[in-house]
Parts: sequence; C-alpha cells; structure tokens
Amino acid sequence: MSTSGLTGSRDTPLSKIRIYAFGVVVAAVFFVYSVHLFNLQVVNEELYQSRATQVTQRSIPIYAQRGEIFDRSYDTPVVSNIDSFAVDIIPGEVPEERRTDVYRRLAGYLGISEEEMRRRLPPSYAGLYQPVEVKSGLSLETITYLAEHLEDFPGVTWRSKPIRNYVEKESLAHVLGYVGDITKEELQILYNQGYSNGSVLGKSGIEKQYDLILRGQDGKEFRTVDVRGRKVGEALVDEVPPVLGKNIVLTIDRNIQKLCEKALGSRIGTVLVTKPSTGEVLALVSYPSFDPNLFYTADTADAFRRLSLNTSFPFLNRAIQSQYVPASTYKIILTTAILEDEVVSPSKTVFCPGYYNYGDRVFRCHKHNGHGSLALFSGLAESCDVYYYTMGAEYLGIDRIVDFSRRFGLGELTGIDIPGEIPGTLPSPAWKTKTYNARWVGGDTVNMSIGQGYLGVTPIQMANAVSMIVNKGTVYKPHILKEIRDPQTGELLERIEPEILAAAAVRPSTFEAAGSAMRQVITNGTARVVITTKAVNSAGKTGTGEVGMEDHWHSWFVANAPYDAPPEEQIVLVVLVEAANDWEWWAPKAANIILHGIFSKMNYEEVRSTLSTWYLPLQALPQEVQEVR
Amino acid sequence: MKGQSVFAFDILLFVSTLILVTLGIAFIYSSGITSSGEVISTEHIKQTIWAITGVGLLVFFASFDYMTLRRWSLRVYLVFICLLVLTLFLGRVVNYSKSWIGIWELGIQPSEFCKVAMIVQLAHVLDKKNTQLRDLKFFALFFGIAALPMLLILIQPDLGTALVFIPVSIVMFFIAGAKTRHIAFVVLAGLLMIFFTILPYYGMYFGGGNASAMSLFTDKTLSLYLIGAVFMVCALSCAGLFFSKKNYFYWFFYFSLLLFFALAGSFAARSVLKEYQIMRLVVFIDPNIDPKGAGWNIIQSMNAIGSGGLWGKGFLKGTQSHYRYIPQQSTDFIFSILSEEWGFAGCLLVFVLFFIIIVRGLFIIRTSQDRFAAIAATGIVTMIFFHFAVNVGMAIGLMPITGIPLFFLSYGGSSLWSVLISIGLLMSFYIRRFKV
Repeated sequence: MSTSGLTGSRDTPLSKIRIYAFGVVVAAVFFVYSVHLFNLQVVNEELYQSRATQVTQRSIPIYAQRGEIFDRSYDTPVVSNIDSFAVDIIPGEVPEERRTDVYRRLAGYLGISEEEMRRRLPPSYAGLYQPVEVKSGLSLETITYLAEHLEDFPGVTWRSKPIRNYVEKESLAHVLGYVGDITKEELQILYNQGYSNGSVLGKSGIEKQYDLILRGQDGKEFRTVDVRGRKVGEALVDEVPPVLGKNIVLTIDRNIQKLCEKALGSRIGTVLVTKPSTGEVLALVSYPSFDPNLFYTADTADAFRRLSLNTSFPFLNRAIQSQYVPASTYKIILTTAILEDEVVSPSKTVFCPGYYNYGDRVFRCHKHNGHGSLALFSGLAESCDVYYYTMGAEYLGIDRIVDFSRRFGLGELTGIDIPGEIPGTLPSPAWKTKTYNARWVGGDTVNMSIGQGYLGVTPIQMANAVSMIVNKGTVYKPHILKEIRDPQTGELLERIEPEILAAAAVRPSTFEAAGSAMRQVITNGTARVVITTKAVNSAGKTGTGEVGMEDHWHSWFVANAPYDAPPEEQIVLVVLVEAANDWEWWAPKAANIILHGIFSKMNYEEVRSTLSTWYLPLQALPQEVQEVR
Repeated sequence: MKGQSVFAFDILLFVSTLILVTLGIAFIYSSGITSSGEVISTEHIKQTIWAITGVGLLVFFASFDYMTLRRWSLRVYLVFICLLVLTLFLGRVVNYSKSWIGIWELGIQPSEFCKVAMIVQLAHVLDKKNTQLRDLKFFALFFGIAALPMLLILIQPDLGTALVFIPVSIVMFFIAGAKTRHIAFVVLAGLLMIFFTILPYYGMYFGGGNASAMSLFTDKTLSLYLIGAVFMVCALSCAGLFFSKKNYFYWFFYFSLLLFFALAGSFAARSVLKEYQIMRLVVFIDPNIDPKGAGWNIIQSMNAIGSGGLWGKGFLKGTQSHYRYIPQQSTDFIFSILSEEWGFAGCLLVFVLFFIIIVRGLFIIRTSQDRFAAIAATGIVTMIFFHFAVNVGMAIGLMPITGIPLFFLSYGGSSLWSVLISIGLLMSFYIRRFKV
C-alpha cells in the first residue's frame, strides 16, 4: 500500500463531505425514531393502552351464593348454606426467614399434613402476592384464634366462603347429591357455560342435574395490581355483581321420606313412593347412603376413599342405578297381556302339581306341593308359577311377552331428573343372539314368564309399570324438581308440569281388571298375612327374586293405594330389599308400615306403637338406622 | 485569547445539557416511587449531587486549555487502562459485571471515563500521525488504542459499554481521513460477523433456513473446515498479489480476508457469548418468543411508551412504571418512564435537546481550526449519539437490549460525570476554535 496522494499537514482541513455524511446518518436516525415513536404513541395509542391495562388488571371472582333446596312443603330448606371461612396465605407477605416455621405452624393448627401444605404452596410461589387458599370450611372459632395470634401467622388472611349444609342427611343424599370443586376435566367440557377455575359445582343428584339453576352467576371484581400481583390502591376499577342462585323445591315429602328410611332400616335396598297422576317422586330411599357433609370435614379425601371402597356401594342409587330380576312382580305385566290379547279366558284353570315340565327340564313352583287348579285371578293372588309358565310358554309366546314389557317401559330409561339412570335389560330372542350368540329356547320363555332369567329392571321402572295400571294406560315422567323460586322474594319462577312419558295402546278395562287382580293379592293372596294395615285399601304384588344364593332372595313389593280412589289421590309404592340381607321377606312388611304411616299420617315411631303385626313386637325399641361409615 | 472565552460560551449547548440533566433527576425521582406513592429510593438525591459536581467539572474543563490536556493524554489514558486492569482484580460486581472500583461507598466505573480518555488519546494520535493514517499498518496499529480498553471491559463483562468503542473509533478514523476501503473493511467485517453469529439461532427459533447449511455454523468441525478453506483462499490470493501485483488479486484478497475475519469472529463470539445475550438478539426480532423472560423488557417497555399517548399520563402518574413492570427504570429504561408520563410531546423534547447537542457538536467539528479538537469532538459526538441511538432504540423496540445508559438522563455518577466532562471539552474546543 502506498501513502501517496494526500500528504497531511497539521492544518489540512477535514473532509466536509464526511462530516456532512455523518450528519445525515444522525438526522436519519432521529427521523426514523420520531416516526416510530409517533406510530407507537399516537397512532397505536389505544392498542398499547389496552395492553397496558390488560397487564395490570386482574379479575377476582365474587362467588354467587348457591340456591337452597326445599322439600315440597317449602318451609325449611333441606339444603342450606352456612357461614364458613377459608384461610388464605399471601406467600409474598411471609418473611423469608420465617416461612418454613409459619407454614408448619399453620398446617399443624388447621390439621393438614405438611405434604398437602407443600402441594398447595410450592416454593415457586414464594414471591407471589396473591392469596392462595390453604383450607376452607373453617368455623368462626378457628378464625378467631388466628386473628388473636396474628403475629404468629404473618401473611395469613381469611374470607367468608359459605359451604353447603345438608340438613336432611343420609337418606336424601342420593337425591340431593353433593358439590365439590371443579376438576380440570370438567372445566374443559363446561368452560363455555360460564364455569371457571375455582367454581364449585354439583357432582351428583339434584345438585348436578340443576347446577345451572342453583349456581347463579359469579360476579367479578377488577383490581389493578403491580408486577408481583400486589393490589394497588383501594379503589375498585370495576365490578360485575353476582347473580344469586335460584331456590328449588323438590317433589319429595320430607315426612314420607323419613318414614320410608326408617321402615327400610339397615337393610340394603330401596324404597320409592311416587304420585302416578303427575310423576312426582314423594320419597326415594336407597340404603346404604352417605352423609354429603362429610365432604366438608377435615379428611374429605379419606371419607371419599372409604365410601368408595365400601363393598355395599353407598354411592349407588339403587332406585335408578341398579337392576334386579323383577321376579313375581313381573306377573302383573303378563296378567295384562293375557287380559288384553284374550289369548285365553281369565276363567280357564290350570292345574298346578308343584312343577312344570318343559321338554326335558322341570320348572318348580314356589309352592312345592302345588296349588291345585287355579284361574288367572287366583294365579296372581297366589303367585302360582306353574300357571304363568303355562301361559307364557303355551299361550302368549315370547314375542307377545316382550311386546307388553316394552309397553310398560322395561328396558328403557324413565328419564327421571337425577343423573346416572340405567335402562335395565329386556331380553328377547334377538337380544340373546346378539349378546350371547345363542338361540332363544323355550326354557328361556318359561323362565321369563315368572320374571326370572335375563330380565333386569330398576325399581323406578316398576313404579312406572304400576303407575300405568293406576292411570289406565298413561305414564308420567318421574321427576323430583317441583318448582323454581326466586331466592329473595320467594316468587314462583317455574312450576314443572307433568309430562307424558308413555301411553300404551291397551284397553282401560284391561288395566281395571289387572288392578282388581292386584287387589286380590292383598285381600286373599300372598300379601294377605303381612299387609295388615286398616288405614287404607291397597293393591299390590309381592316378588321373590332368585339370585343363586341359598336361602337368600331379593324381596320385592309393589303397590298402589288407596285402591278404589281416583288416580289423582293414589300413590305408588315400590320396596326392594336385596338378597344380601338376612331373609325376612321384608319388602311387604316395610310396605305395610309405610302405607299405614302415610294414610294415617303417622311417623315411624307412631306406626310402631299402633300397628299390630305379628312380625313387629309392639314393645320393641325403634330400630335405629346404622350409619355406614 | 483566553480572556474572550467567557463571552464565546456555547449557550445553546450548555442550556440543553442542563435541561436534560434536570429532566433526568425528575424522572429518577419518579422511578423511585412505588405503586402506593412511597418514595423508596434516594437515587434522585445522589444524582443531584453528581449533577452539581458534574456541572462544576463541565465548567472546569470548558475553561481549561485543552492543549494542556492533550500533552497529558497518554498518561491519562494509561492511568485508566491501569484502573481497568485493577477493576478486574479488585472491582465490585454490579449488575453481573465487575465494573466498579473504589473504597467504601466512594468509587467509579473506570469504563465510563475510559471512553473519554480513549477519545482524547486517539484524537491525539490521529492528528500527530496524520500522514500515516492512510497506511494500512498504522491504521491497524491505531485501532489498538480503542481495542485495548474495549477488551478489558469485555472481560468484566460489560458488552454494551465495550461496544461503544467500535463506532466511536470508526467514525473518528472516518472523519480524520482514513481510506474508505479500510473503514469499509472494518464495518463490513463487523456486520458480517454479527450476521454469522446469530444466523443459526434465528434458524433455530424462527424455523426456515436449511438445516444442513446451518450445520456449517453449529457443528464445530465443519465450522473449522470452512474457516480453514476461506483462509486458504486468502493465503493464495495474498501470494498472487505478492507475485503478480495484479489489481484483481488485491480485491480477491480484500474480500476473502473480510470473510475470514467475519467467520472466525463469529465462531469465537458464539463460544464466548452467553445464552441470555443470544436470546436478547432473538427476542429483538419477536419478543413474544419468550414473553416472560428475555422478551419481557421489550414488551413492558413498549406497553408503557405506547400507552403514554400524545401528552402522557402526567408526571408521577405512570402506571406501568410505578407498578414496576419496567425493570431498571432509573438506568437503562429511564426513557420508558419519561415516555409514559410525558407522552410523545416529552419524547420530542428529549429528541430536540439531544439533536441540539449533536448539531452543536457537528458545528464545532466543522468550524474548529484545530484537527485534534475536531477529531476529539467527533469522538464525543459519536459517543453521545451512539448511546442515544442504542438506548432509545432499545426502549422503543428498534434495537436489541444492550445495557448502556442514556446520557444525561440515566441514573449513575460515572456516566453523568464522564458526559459532562465531554460536554466541557466540547465547549473548550468551541471557545478556542479560532486559536493560533
């Protein structure tokens, strides 16, 4: 490289062009920055303002009070809300050096494990200035203690968080259900219906079915927070007030419910009382049950686990979620079929020697030495198996049996307004081919004629079947919700009208005849010895279901009463006592107590002291319902 | 002649400086106020003390004959080099870099003063060895004056401050009359180096780019082969130039050497740069790649500035700043809080004041009869301009995040003093522009 060209002297002037070039670069940068800033601050001001607001605002939910639940009397609620408190901790306000100490002391005082505490307050929350819930469902005393010892609990705060109080415990649990915190999975499904993280929602029963009515609408409070989530200033930016949840009135009659619960006692089974003319459910008992309040106690998870693992399944609502062989109660349906289709004269007699030969199989009657000759009415009254074997296998045929079962709603959901109902099983030749890949044989028809075999019905389906006879062909959809009412004024917002579920094309005279046949079961049939009440004339049918256990059977009793009253005044009663209990033939006996109680307006204890029965010693102490724990 | 100096005072330059410093104190005060209205910081008081003493220094340097200073320039330069070395051993760590030295609470950041010392020393050399400036050997040698403190600051590590030395020295060379092709070589090599350094990371975060082509940069062996190959081309064209003296060999050599420096430099940079520094360059393109981490500063700063609007939210009424969404509001992000509270109007005021200072500086460069003064003034103007462009550019999202202060406004004694001294020097050059 040469140094030729410019030979610089001390006073060689600097290149003006280069200075100007530098000046141009400077001016260009100033210009570009100004334009960019103008764009940022003036043109897009609103965009950045909304972003800035978005960054600094947090919305805090104001939970709406959940509606209360009443029984049909609409006097005192069966589910209410009681004042309760939740303890929160603001991790950022706990001094660093005392953190472990404070957490341990709080966990000890509130009775939660340190693991649980760590799960709720992981170390990553250390600098957080937002309250984190430690525990809810706490009493005023607990909070008072905390308030008095505040210096030991820096950063600890509390707030009111009402909890559900299930006044009528145990027997109503299956109807009412319970509530709990929303899970991640539930939130994914329900997000668009206004649920949010932290929502409390119904997990089963009425609480789940009518959650949207009960829950109201959570409000929102907007606050401005700084970068660590700390609330800035006292003034609220904005508020959306919550909408209270609506109160609901059930069709359940608290007194009948209690009577049924006690009449069933500590026996695994279920009792249903309905009004056939509307479909209203007056009582629904399923034993064993559970106490929904347990889910608010110290060891919620523990209580839940214990109940889930209980071998008698306390969470199962046996009235709608469990299917049983209908046994002899099914004979009502065959009786209707015989009368309607006139396949044989009701006066035609069949001789019962105590057994029935079909092909190379022998089917026994429950009376081993035989009933002798009997016709339709005495066949139902005595519940003679041989009569119905003969009718089913030789006169009706399987297709007609299935057809009539369908008309009575077997194998289909009743649509009752609590979640989890099952449809039961209505077998047919096609069903057997599909399910077992086996041909329907005559023996299957014989078996089904007395309600045994593959047949499975839910107690609510049997209640509907009896309702159909009472209403002479119409069944109303069973329901538990009666009214929706305003939580503050009590104003009636909506009344649930009866809804026809099924209308069978059967002559009313057929139902009339079937109903009088059921009346004879009580007056001079199998139930004569147990239905001793003089308070009401009833019609009904017993059933004894074979489940393959030695000396143990499902005990059924279905009834309607008063027998001679118009349908509007009648009730339908279904009692099922599972074979798992000691054999007492308890279903008709419980029915006797319940019918007596309802129609003489007595409670269980009064029934015990006035109803003279051979199976209930008068002086015996009232049997206490054992709690399933 | 010295007697006239008082009357020849550059009043515009002085007033602009004072206004900027006052604004700085006001917004440092604002940044020390929490969301609940408490004043939690005493930074504004410290800054006031530094401002008053700093203006004293300004007046002192303005009235001081810079020719004396010029004679002492090498010694001053060496003292600060020594201080920088000392800082590496005895310094205190502030904001992750060992940049502070002193006893008890009294101390300085030598890197800030070193910029000024380097400018004076470089101006002295560029003026004295004027005739050799166009010679490649001296061109390279003079660069050492800037490179030595820059390397010492890089070790601290304070990438932002170190970077300032590059544009300052390049512009000084440029104005002093270095060969265009030499300047172009340095600028192009630097730009290419940055490009090659971040190229593979952009491929990684933004997709696109050919993966196997990227492995030329990410795979160590392949990178070394590539650098070796370029070096071979370089050596061959150098030999060609030596034997044939053909012009095209010269340009071949020129560009292959350029490529070699860029590749080797980027290779070195990738192994030296920390993950967070790379991420700053990545989020510069799209802050939402890492909104809670590296992109946080950009997003929050732009939210604050944009929400300020035309007239701002009012002094002490900013929300994003007082709720602490903006980090380092009194130092690196002082411009964000000003923009939020005073809006576009306030920003324009600051722009105008900076523009006046720089234009006055350019005027001094243009009119000074002394080459030394003109070149030194060039260094000072470039330094102030570079700080302004990088700091404001970063706050408004036009530049990647590099932690260098906004002169006059940002909190910090050393940077305030060094810039006030620089302004003092500018004034001294101005007063003595018609010197004999």
